[in-house]
Amino acid sequence: MGSGDRLLEFISRRGFRKGWTVFNIAFFLLFIILPTVFILSYAVTDWSKIQNYVLNDPATMDLIIGAVAVSFEIAAIVTVIDFIAGLPVAWMMARKEFRGKQFLDTLIDMPLAVPTAALGFSAAIFWAATPNPPPFSLAVISSPMLLIILLHVVFSYPYMVRSLTAILGGIDETYETAGRTLGASRLTAVRTITLPLFRAGLVTGAILCFARSLSETGGTIIALATLYGRKMVEGDFQTGPTLIGLWKDASVSDPSLLPALAFVSILLIVLALVLLLVLKVVIMKVRLPLRKVWPTPEKLLSRGLFPKFKDSSAVLFLAAIVLVPSFFIFTYVFTGTPAQADWGLFIDALVTSFAVASVVTVVDLVTGIPLALYIVKNRSGRLAQLLDVLVNVPLIVPTAALGFSLGLFWSTLDSGAAVPILLIILAHIAFTYPLVVRNVVGAVEGVDPAFEETARTLGARPLQSFRRVLLPMIKGSILAGAIMAFTRSLGETGATLAVVANANTAPVYIVNLVNSQSYYLAAMACIILIIISYMFMLLLRRFTREEVV
Amino acid sequence: MLKGITKRYSDVTAADGLDLTVNDQEYLCLLGPTGAGKTTALRVIAGLTAPDEGTVHFDQRDVTSVEPEHRNAVLLSQTYSLFPTMTVAENIMFGPDIRNVPDRDKEQMLVSLLDLVRLTGRAGSYPRELSGGMQQRCALVRAIATSPDVLLLDEPLRALDARLRIDLRRELKSLAKTLGLTVVHVTHDQDEALVMADRIAIIRDGRIVQVGTPSQVFNEPASPFVANFVGQSNFFTGTVVSSGPDGSEVEDDAGHRMKSRPTDVPVGEKAVLAVKVGHTRLLKLEAAKLQGRIERMLFEGRVVHVDVDVDGVGRFSAKIPASHGGRYQVGDEIGVGWNRNKAKLFPYPEGGLENELRVD
Repeated sequence: MGSGDRLLEFISRRGFRKGWTVFNIAFFLLFIILPTVFILSYAVTDWSKIQNYVLNDPATMDLIIGAVAVSFEIAAIVTVIDFIAGLPVAWMMARKEFRGKQFLDTLIDMPLAVPTAALGFSAAIFWAATPNPPPFSLAVISSPMLLIILLHVVFSYPYMVRSLTAILGGIDETYETAGRTLGASRLTAVRTITLPLFRAGLVTGAILCFARSLSETGGTIIALATLYGRKMVEGDFQTGPTLIGLWKDASVSDPSLLPALAFVSILLIVLALVLLLVLKVVIMKVRLPLRKVWPTPEKLLSRGLFPKFKDSSAVLFLAAIVLVPSFFIFTYVFTGTPAQADWGLFIDALVTSFAVASVVTVVDLVTGIPLALYIVKNRSGRLAQLLDVLVNVPLIVPTAALGFSLGLFWSTLDSGAAVPILLIILAHIAFTYPLVVRNVVGAVEGVDPAFEETARTLGARPLQSFRRVLLPMIKGSILAGAIMAFTRSLGETGATLAVVANANTAPVYIVNLVNSQSYYLAAMACIILIIISYMFMLLLRRFTREEVV
Repeated sequence: MLKGITKRYSDVTAADGLDLTVNDQEYLCLLGPTGAGKTTALRVIAGLTAPDEGTVHFDQRDVTSVEPEHRNAVLLSQTYSLFPTMTVAENIMFGPDIRNVPDRDKEQMLVSLLDLVRLTGRAGSYPRELSGGMQQRCALVRAIATSPDVLLLDEPLRALDARLRIDLRRELKSLAKTLGLTVVHVTHDQDEALVMADRIAIIRDGRIVQVGTPSQVFNEPASPFVANFVGQSNFFTGTVVSSGPDGSEVEDDAGHRMKSRPTDVPVGEKAVLAVKVGHTRLLKLEAAKLQGRIERMLFEGRVVHVDVDVDGVGRFSAKIPASHGGRYQVGDEIGVGWNRNKAKLFPYPEGGLENELRVD
């Protein structure tokens, strides 16, 4: 018996398997959930400070309440826009066959490949009426609120379309066909039969969009800085996350800001959790008065030009509102004034970012996949159900608040001597981990357990049956989760800055360039980051696809 | 190889104190209606479901807590579970691969196995490129490739076309016999069980109701349920009025007296008489004790199925040769009867007859 066999023998033991599962659950609870919500404990331990510095200070209170309210307002508006604009596209992707469908499919995901800092900058120079607008930009928007809404639509749109497409693809079209053979027009059938069936997809999509908008920090800060043409100050337009970013930055020299910082974070986390629960209940429980049927107008709307108009305007929206602003930054290559830069520093930052993203993705996969498997295989167990809910928590906690909470947690343990890069990695694991788990859970649920069971009866150890049977079948979803985690880590600014104020990652480097108005350099850096991450994704896709076929 | 599986476990009644022994090289069909616990029993044997109570033995060895991969009991699931990411050859060699069989032996094994199920030309195909029948044969040969001590088949023919299913019955049985396999075959199709099995175990509500050869189960059912589930039966409920070595007699409330084989049910007890539809005859009105009206006639090819509504008793069905079909028509007044040796008498079931016959 070789040492390989002995190792296999060892890890196939029931005790080892149980231990491994316990380890992964413990990792999830200790390294992801606990640090994420650790900030809540601040309200208990330091309530008096919050009272003194925040609750009894009307100016600070006004600032906080205003910023948090704006954040929720923006998130709500963005979610509605995403739904209205995303539904027709999701419909086309799920139900129609047309030339260029593959192409459109890739285009929808494009914004995910762009780091949020670059995206924020790109969208801002396209829309915002800055003092010196670049050529070809629209430069029409001077309202920060409107700008942020437009920006967040870009971020969250792909999540909505993906969620809706997934669930629409799963709804049997025969229901609708049956409705139509019973005399309903296409619109009536869709509205009264299909739409009520995909509430689940709507919940997922809405939560993802809402959370994404509510938690976005880096892109928002950079867009506002671009609009103002300078680094933000306290009197500017603020959302919850930007306020955290700002104070976190300033708290390095002024510790009296800490209670306020903690208070905003707590407020955002608690309100986000409450609101999302409410959202879930409202969408699942409330019956919309959709029963009434208007045969004649609905028949008219089902025919002729209207459906074409609907489809083309939805695609137009995708192009004009989502894609063009995302990639507008590329025009800088041709129109900007070249400048010299310290590229050495940028390369350092790039290397750091890729190293962080790689480590984060690997950790996510190694510990996230076992947790996902545990959740699926123990569906009926109470612990698995609880874990399934808890996994979503880091997704809906604003990244800046999450970063702050994490920083606080780890510095409490280690009296501030923690290695900065380790903190960044831990922070990034916290908000990317759910992406991997969600994707893997979804995929494993779709696989008949009979495959693995048959493999076991044929003599395969649990690990062998996972590696040789299940893994090849869910590779696509693992890849999707890995890509999401990787790009999310690569593009994240807010959480990074919140844990380590002077971090040197690529998105932070870009934010600093924008803050110092070096737009040409910022654009070049963005382009390099986009190209590298896009190539990386392509490579990863190619690499795994070949093996599948 | 496989003896004395005793498993009791009190899960929702998926297996409610279930005892079953499978003999070496035997082809045993586990027959029962949907939800009777057939698949659970199979999974317990395979080690995929742990029983709450009871034990599983292979030979004299207690394997109750042995992992599935160490049992050498291969499961062939309803959907075959051919691994979609592997070719036919890779699928078949999955078991030998896991066991580190040397490459040369594997090659020889593959050639002979492919030949055995006529898939030689398809070694490089993916499962989705095969027809239903080919997939079934591929899954079967994959299971055989590990030379299992017992082969567990979970409704192996269910997903096939009716015609193909009948062809494959013969093929599967002869393969099992040629290779000397011990097989537990789960099915809800009584025809399949009757044709294929050496012995049939009838399972219901997590209990084994009867075990026996196909003819025993068909001709000597242990309960009204078995009588009806294996070859449909007609029932006549009444009180035993006489009982002797020649046979017994039952009388219902309306005064009809019907005869059966001898029974243990004492005189004066309530009883139910069962007679197979195929043994029920249509008689001239005057010659019959049970008289009724033809309610419906269904042409079934070689035979015609006739439902007769007997006044005050209920419906009786009979099969008559198609050539006689022209003699009768719906609405005709007709008599119903049977040879007393074909009728079996059971004590009246505790939960009522309807509940006893329920199959869901």
